[in-house]
Amino acid sequence: MLKFTIKRLAWAIPTLFFLITLAFFLIRIAPGGPFDSERALPPEIEANLAAKYHLDEPLIAQYGRYLAQIARLDFGPSFHYRDWTVNDLIAQGAPVSFTLGILALVLAMGLGILAGALAALKQNSAADYSVMSFSMIGISIPNFVMAPLLILVFALTLGWLPAGGWDGSISRMILPVITLALPMVAYIARITRGSMIEVLHSSFIRTARAKGMPEREVLMRHALKPALLPVISYLGPATAAVLTGSVVVEKIFTIPGIGSYFVQGALNRDYTLVMGVVIFYGMLIILLNFIVDLVYAWLDPRIRYDDGALVSPT
Amino acid sequence: MVFLLVLGFEAWGQTLHRGLGPEPDSLDIHTAQGLNSINVLRDLHEGLVTFDGKARIIPGVASEWELDDDGRTWRFKLDPQARWSDGSRVTGKDFVRGWHRALDPITGAPYAAMLDGVENARAVREGDKQPGELGIEVLSDGRLEIRLETDMPWFTELLTHPVTFPLPEGENADERRRFNGPFVLAEHRPGSHLRLKANKSWRLADEVRLDEVIWHPIEDPVVEMNRYRAGELHITETIPPGRKQWLRERFGDELRISPYLGSFFLGYNLSREPFENRPKLREALSLVVDRQLIAERVIGAGEVPAWRLVPPGMEGWPDRPGPGQELDTEQRLDRARKLYQEAGYGPGNPLQLELRYNTTLTHRRMAAAVAALWKQHLGVETRLVNEEWKVFVVNRRQGRLTQVMRGGWIADWADPANFLQLFVSDSPLNYTFFSDETFDDLMDRAAASQGEERMELLFDAEEQLLESHAIIPLYYYVSRHLVRSDVDGFEDNLMDVHLSRWMGVGNEP
Repeated sequence: MLKFTIKRLAWAIPTLFFLITLAFFLIRIAPGGPFDSERALPPEIEANLAAKYHLDEPLIAQYGRYLAQIARLDFGPSFHYRDWTVNDLIAQGAPVSFTLGILALVLAMGLGILAGALAALKQNSAADYSVMSFSMIGISIPNFVMAPLLILVFALTLGWLPAGGWDGSISRMILPVITLALPMVAYIARITRGSMIEVLHSSFIRTARAKGMPEREVLMRHALKPALLPVISYLGPATAAVLTGSVVVEKIFTIPGIGSYFVQGALNRDYTLVMGVVIFYGMLIILLNFIVDLVYAWLDPRIRYDDGALVSPT
Repeated sequence: MVFLLVLGFEAWGQTLHRGLGPEPDSLDIHTAQGLNSINVLRDLHEGLVTFDGKARIIPGVASEWELDDDGRTWRFKLDPQARWSDGSRVTGKDFVRGWHRALDPITGAPYAAMLDGVENARAVREGDKQPGELGIEVLSDGRLEIRLETDMPWFTELLTHPVTFPLPEGENADERRRFNGPFVLAEHRPGSHLRLKANKSWRLADEVRLDEVIWHPIEDPVVEMNRYRAGELHITETIPPGRKQWLRERFGDELRISPYLGSFFLGYNLSREPFENRPKLREALSLVVDRQLIAERVIGAGEVPAWRLVPPGMEGWPDRPGPGQELDTEQRLDRARKLYQEAGYGPGNPLQLELRYNTTLTHRRMAAAVAALWKQHLGVETRLVNEEWKVFVVNRRQGRLTQVMRGGWIADWADPANFLQLFVSDSPLNYTFFSDETFDDLMDRAAASQGEERMELLFDAEEQLLESHAIIPLYYYVSRHLVRSDVDGFEDNLMDVHLSRWMGVGNEP
């Protein structure tokens, strides 16, 4: 187990390095630079700015400089938001995105697993069909439709909730959390239902029932845990995505998270900001995938990590 | 309990919630670039002069000023009541310090070139002279003297721009975190809000009615409108495009649309095929574009159809029709078809061109409409090319790909030359590559003259530009806001500047 952990962590470094290199050169290929605007700057001023941010050096030198810098976990100054460093921006935005993401995740897991399990138990019943139709809707309505719809109903028509903004109060979180959670609820419900049905038909469940184990015990102890495995593998990347914020949700609800920095940073050619969020996102994905693997082992006793490799059942 | 008390207390004060547009790029007076950043800076800082509610120049840190008989030496008497937010006096030295930093290459101030025209400013900016040689000096009686190299009739207007503001002592941003404007920055959460509190040390602190101004950065106009509808904003920065009628019905007088010193046009790339040396062809394309249709039906947020570059309304600027404006539709089309044929095109041999613009919904609609008009009346085959903003500005500036492209300008200050400078041969802003001796000469002569004579010369220069058909003027921008009826002190004006110090608000939103 320890070996596995070390090996995974060791792999994280080249993965990140590859990611950084790719992102660094890709963003530089894009035409236009951080200081291009409607008003072309006088050439001397443009040269001053380039020198200030070392943009006048050869690309490879800039790359070396950047690597040395991030080795100290310093993402540098933002090129567009000139009063801030990228570290500042991420430190201010990430807690907001995390709060929203975690709430959405909790809601999605609670509702999704419950609904999925119910649907599986009452397969082909009215409850099953309604859960499945609901989740179909949840998956197919994109959040840029759902969010304005929720605002229209709950903020503008009923006036129960604010239309946006962020001050840490619950009332401002409700609509964005629902928007973020809905498609996840739907996915989780569908995945849970599918794998639950499969598990319920497997021989060890039949054995448990044959032993005369109470149905409740059968479900909670034997069926649910293995049925959750596919949900967990879905949750790894989904968590990373939801924690780093959604551009759409942040825009529509004017939420100061880090999601919009992806897009805004790229559009502004804010090289350092883009790199910062990419690396942050990359680290989060690596970490979460690692956690998912650990949770796997905990949920399914047949999975063990020997010699640093994942030994799966079947 | 304490919490409740605090909340209760807060509710007593007047708080104004304003939409800001995007998150400000900077709140440093020298590095700030966006108009939104400048709006906030004008609440936090004050220059030698400032704007009243109607954007007229009134005393700021300077209580009075005079221009020497030579027309180039300004002397400003500073208001002894002018204070930084820590209570210390704002002195002439603070201005000198600010101007030195603005011109210091290390600062990388995008607007530093605005000071060109001040004695030695350009040389200092380019590193050829020492900051001490700059034409700004504190006189022995405490007055501030500024010497110009050329006449700058817009000089007082320039002094409302943050790049000319005073700078407090301090080595870094934290040490300099002092404000000499009506408000101080109490809190800044990027992407969320900027909380400004009334500055108790400000020279006219008693006159400010608001206790707090909260600027909300909201990029999407629809989102901003929703928040306004939900009662979370008093004033919006803009309105969603194409919905003027609906907004008027819904909000009545709260919708404030007013002339603005901004001009939208299509520019020809005059440095390459097919428009190089083809004024007749350029005129033909211009004549068939129905400005009324574009402004009112296609864009539809109250924009004013334009036949000239410089918007009307500036003091001393004549309001005369542009070339082609006085013809009726039939005459225009006849003339356009004739010119088009003379240029060697016709049904068998249509002109093929490319119209390039940066991707926004409004521009896409505009471009499609213009292309349709060209097609309908002349048979021109237009390829629409939309590009992401940064790609577009680079391509436009380089001019290797462009043929016809989206152009526009918003005035830095109320002066026609501010628009016309885009077309001076060696201007870095010149993306049409218009290069005309008569025009350049008129601009030079205007720079050396005053008053009415100067306006006439500038007007002639504009005529020359328009008669050369270097651009197709389409419409003049308008400022557009939603302003709640309980806000008072918000006055429409040509510059679209609305300092929060003039405003009061009835109750909490």
